[in-house]
Amino acid sequence: MIERWITALHTEDPGLEEPAATRDRFKERFPKNATRRMTQLGLLVGSTLEPLAPGENDTLVYASGYAETRAIEGYLDSFPGASPTLFQTSIHPSAVQQGLIARQQIVRQFFPLTGGAFLPAQALQVAFLADTPRTLLCGGEERGTWLLENQAASDRAFAFALALAASPENAIAHIRLDEHAPTDAVDPAAIRFALADFFDVLHTRRAFTGAISPAHRLTLTWL
Amino acid sequence: MSVNPPPLHIAACGALTAFGDESVTLAALLEGRRALARVPVLGRDGGDLVPLALCAGHGYDETVPPGWFVPLRALASRIPGEGWGSPRRPVFVTSSNFGVGSLHAFRRTGDTAHLDYGIPFRSVDWLAGQLGWGPNITVFSHACVSAHLGLLQASRTLAANLADEALVFTFDFLSPFVAGGFHALKILNADLPTPYQDRATGSIGLGDGAGFAMLTRDRGDFQLSAQSLHNEMHHFTANQADGRGFDACLAPLVAATTGRRFWLKGHGTGTLEAGRLESGVLARHFAGSPLVSWKGSLGHTLGSCGLVELAIATAAFRAGRAPGTVGSTGPTFTSDVALAPFDLGAFDSVLCTSNAFGGAHAAFLLSHD
Amino acid sequence: MADPLITKLKVLVVETLRLEDIVAADIPDDEPLIGGGLSLDSIDALELVVRLEKEFGIKISSSEESRTALASIGSLATYIRAHAAPNRLPA
Repeated sequence: MIERWITALHTEDPGLEEPAATRDRFKERFPKNATRRMTQLGLLVGSTLEPLAPGENDTLVYASGYAETRAIEGYLDSFPGASPTLFQTSIHPSAVQQGLIARQQIVRQFFPLTGGAFLPAQALQVAFLADTPRTLLCGGEERGTWLLENQAASDRAFAFALALAASPENAIAHIRLDEHAPTDAVDPAAIRFALADFFDVLHTRRAFTGAISPAHRLTLTWL
Repeated sequence: MSVNPPPLHIAACGALTAFGDESVTLAALLEGRRALARVPVLGRDGGDLVPLALCAGHGYDETVPPGWFVPLRALASRIPGEGWGSPRRPVFVTSSNFGVGSLHAFRRTGDTAHLDYGIPFRSVDWLAGQLGWGPNITVFSHACVSAHLGLLQASRTLAANLADEALVFTFDFLSPFVAGGFHALKILNADLPTPYQDRATGSIGLGDGAGFAMLTRDRGDFQLSAQSLHNEMHHFTANQADGRGFDACLAPLVAATTGRRFWLKGHGTGTLEAGRLESGVLARHFAGSPLVSWKGSLGHTLGSCGLVELAIATAAFRAGRAPGTVGSTGPTFTSDVALAPFDLGAFDSVLCTSNAFGGAHAAFLLSHD
Repeated sequence: MADPLITKLKVLVVETLRLEDIVAADIPDDEPLIGGGLSLDSIDALELVVRLEKEFGIKISSSEESRTALASIGSLATYIRAHAAPNRLPA
């Protein structure tokens, strides 16, 4: 069993907002001229991370299943004259780097993950094993266009960022990860707790107890 | 600060490059051979010729299923033990590009059969199914330091007694998607790479690569005795001009090298500014330790480079001889750059470094008992 | 009378790099394209190169060559005049 305390949380749920509208909405929150090359995912993740003030000695864990979908689409559409900007932007973990580079914010330990059905469990385990006083866990997706039409992208855009600490001081929630007991009959096919599910629990501040992977149970209690 | 779990052992490791496995690759490097050959950057769509090193059996234009699976399955068959992906035997998969060549193939042909292989987590799910792995798989993707993250997290998982043994598995196979991008960045061009060579223009080559390392608490004659990370977040494609990013990653490892006789396996892709900064900082901290890069021969194997080059380094220790910086000639940025092979009889460790877009840095000290 | 190539290059810079709040005609001919008042960086330069190669049929082969060519709008115009076929240049 590993437990931590959530001391801060920010979420963004833009619905079907198009990237241009997101850029317009967040333009003033980033350094001048920074947003012209930022993706929707970069803007969303960056805006949720920014109030947590990431520092050099934090551990930063980032999770996204589909990552920079629009940049990938745009990059592929740019062939044969491949766009260097879109190539660069399409590379995971661009969404986090866009915001932190704009602010020139060093982070020593940065763990970008990708995954599917059990991504939150994997990201939480990475976050819980960090050896820094504070760990920031962030993640998100953006909606695709032609990749979405082919079921190869997220159908939602969202982002979250939370701060984890080992002590309950100023905590807003308690979060615990347990391994299943050996006697538990766990059917991996019956478990689905993907990134969007984790986001919904966070965004709605909903209490949660249940299996989130074949190896882990999550208990989340809001204080 | 370094990010050290207790030292852990590497019970087994292996690599796959365009030459073959790590022993065959070592032999080729010791002979000074280059795996890189000029290939049209857009594959069957043509384009400029660029230096790529492709594994035998892997076609550059992607097929269904992907052509990289056959050589990858052969590599995976060498992984000892069973039950990988079960609760006490986690797998850490690391890559920068996964099967992204399949997305390019889909966009080019419209054949939706490519899609499942092109999305990173789906390509890993598919691979896990083919290799018989369980669901306990964590996937890291951080460009060219990806493999280091897998090694570090595997180390932490073992140190926390959340696993009995851990497998780090990496793969990165080339495609027009990947090479087209580096070509657009003007660093992959007709010239062959010459890491750490002081010349007027820089250039890289790219290579297919895959590897694995099995970590244990107590078995194996190689130890990961120190690890370090740093992320400058200065610019996507450039480092702080004073080298402070390289310094921040390497300085915490100086103490771990005390009393050790070690050589340096650098990142050294062939770009000028990063190569100059990297070699300069290494010389400042570890003057006298010979520095090599093998990317002038193998190409840059991207997300897999940390683990591919670890496996080659272990093969070098077993053979008693390290390859030099194949493809480069003098003058070099520092006098520590080893152009020719050298004997390892007097060495007990190697400090391995990798760097990535966004000013990401990673390093570990690998010691041979 | 304004140099038509320089005028075209200024418009290309603003369009290609999506520079909001910048009027193309206001960009000085000798303004450094990278690291100057336009706040462009090396990735912007490369994006510009792709556009210029397509527009003028030139070929810039290395990052070092692109840095030299893109020192300013003026140096870029000089480079293009030296490397592009005359029929690709604006009249």
